[in-house]
Amino acid sequence: MIRMREVAIVGAGITRFGVREASWRDLVQEAGKAVFDDVPNLDKKDIDSLFVGAAQPERWVFQTHVAPYVAELLGINVSRVISRTEVACASGQAAIRYAWLAVATGLSDVAMVVGVEKMNSKFMSVSQSSMINVGNREFDGVNGFTAPPFFAMVAQRHMHEFGTTSEQLAMVRVKNSYYGARNPYAQFQKEVTVEKVLGSRMVAPPLTLFDCSAITDGACALILTSEERAREFTDTPVWILGGVQHVDSAHTTNQFGDLSHWVGLRKAAKDLYSMLKISPDDIDMAEVHDCFTISEILEYEELGFCKKGEGGKFIEEGESYIGGKVAVNPGGGLLSNGHPLGATGVRQAWEMVMQFRGEVPEERYVNGAEIGIAHNLSGMAQLHHIMAYSIYKRKDLKQEV
Amino acid sequence: MASHTRRKLKLPDQIPLNPLLDLWEQQEPEGPDATRIYEFYRSLAEGKFVTTRCITCGKIHFPPLIVCPNCNGEDLEWIEIPEEGELYAFTELKLGAPVIVEDYAPFVIAVARFGNYPENGVQISGMMFDVSYEDLKVGDRVTWEIMEIVGPGDKTRYWYCFTRV
Ligand SMILES: [Zn+2]
Repeated sequence: MIRMREVAIVGAGITRFGVREASWRDLVQEAGKAVFDDVPNLDKKDIDSLFVGAAQPERWVFQTHVAPYVAELLGINVSRVISRTEVACASGQAAIRYAWLAVATGLSDVAMVVGVEKMNSKFMSVSQSSMINVGNREFDGVNGFTAPPFFAMVAQRHMHEFGTTSEQLAMVRVKNSYYGARNPYAQFQKEVTVEKVLGSRMVAPPLTLFDCSAITDGACALILTSEERAREFTDTPVWILGGVQHVDSAHTTNQFGDLSHWVGLRKAAKDLYSMLKISPDDIDMAEVHDCFTISEILEYEELGFCKKGEGGKFIEEGESYIGGKVAVNPGGGLLSNGHPLGATGVRQAWEMVMQFRGEVPEERYVNGAEIGIAHNLSGMAQLHHIMAYSIYKRKDLKQEV
Repeated sequence: MASHTRRKLKLPDQIPLNPLLDLWEQQEPEGPDATRIYEFYRSLAEGKFVTTRCITCGKIHFPPLIVCPNCNGEDLEWIEIPEEGELYAFTELKLGAPVIVEDYAPFVIAVARFGNYPENGVQISGMMFDVSYEDLKVGDRVTWEIMEIVGPGDKTRYWYCFTRV
């Protein structure tokens, strides 16, 4: 059996997210500069591996073979592992997971992760049409079955089975906009009310515009290294406790089963908790994939923060605010930050690093947090990825917690 | 230098829609665009809505396939999808329709179950026209209906949509 090394995130850098007047290439350079500035002790020559999370550069910016291009833009030579990951909306966290595995197994000593997506252009209907091929293009996409209709139907079924309300959905946006208003990198930095969410333009009933995350440009980068070298770069490493992924054989509507139960996430969460010998009660904060308000409600349930069907009540009672049972999306989530597909999972890890270092504004600081998780999903919620981060190394976890 | 005229590269007046934005399979029986589930489209043209069932393990597939993912069997038969099904979920796409069907938006998108899903039936998505979100409820009976996809040019392909019974 391979001895798994302890792995830390020792550097994190991000661009402003939004409708950026910047090209894909500019975004990569901005995020690279931000992470290099964050780790002044790092010599670029130390970096031996590069993992790029990018969902659809070949559709949105017509560029393929993007990982070598990123290496060139950042001035790094890769001698161990270079890879680009594509699992749609979760491409970013997948890149982190493979970087973690490379460092943990000793294949890499210092690995860089870059998540990037440029989605906005003058040709928005064409850009949006590119999202349709995330599902089964010829058998679902062809019916207009893209993300908003899918999550609208998830909401409809959740309301039908559990009595969840549009107001409860709106409360998710209200919470995340409160934290987003305190995140200078977020696309939307304005607080909203329940009335404002309910009154916004209908996208796909029951989901309004404010129930949906946006089309966004942005990039984010991390530096990962092993226990042996972490202190060379930082006094405040954030440790990667582990990561899980789960996907069932389900890409087309016929294989989805019941829309209001995300069995894959339930299984992934169970794997993570048993791997780390922790329970949902041990989690202090969670960056979860709120691509739509309804998603966060299902995530409370499937991650075990509350009982199945009680996600609506959980937000209504304020349990997912800082100071509640678990702080969910203290960074503002996808709803506030926007959702540049390949960058989102990396942005979630960036938020964990900033939280553990205490480098966030007080109103969104989860004081005393020891364990945080990030959940990144992809497609029609078939593929679920969770990473766990901590101020403790994995081997010290049990004594400390 | 003053008399120098810059070289110009003149591009076409219009750049045609990227063919990748055409969402339907080409539905060709032969040639490089051929599909080995051509029988599915041929049946649609004849007014029948069919899919494959594995003779070895009994699994019903949708979309129709050429190898059963359940048992690797290649011995598949074509079966007809029942005419009437039940509306499992639906919404109406009001913003962000794919560019190729933008002119038809807003339209209802539904998921319906035909037969005894999941054991012995299928769950499929489909468009619904001439009906709005407010007119429908979960559990409504629906039927599938064959439609013709006309264009680009002379090309005609076949697809289905749902109608309320
Ligand atoms: Zn079979």
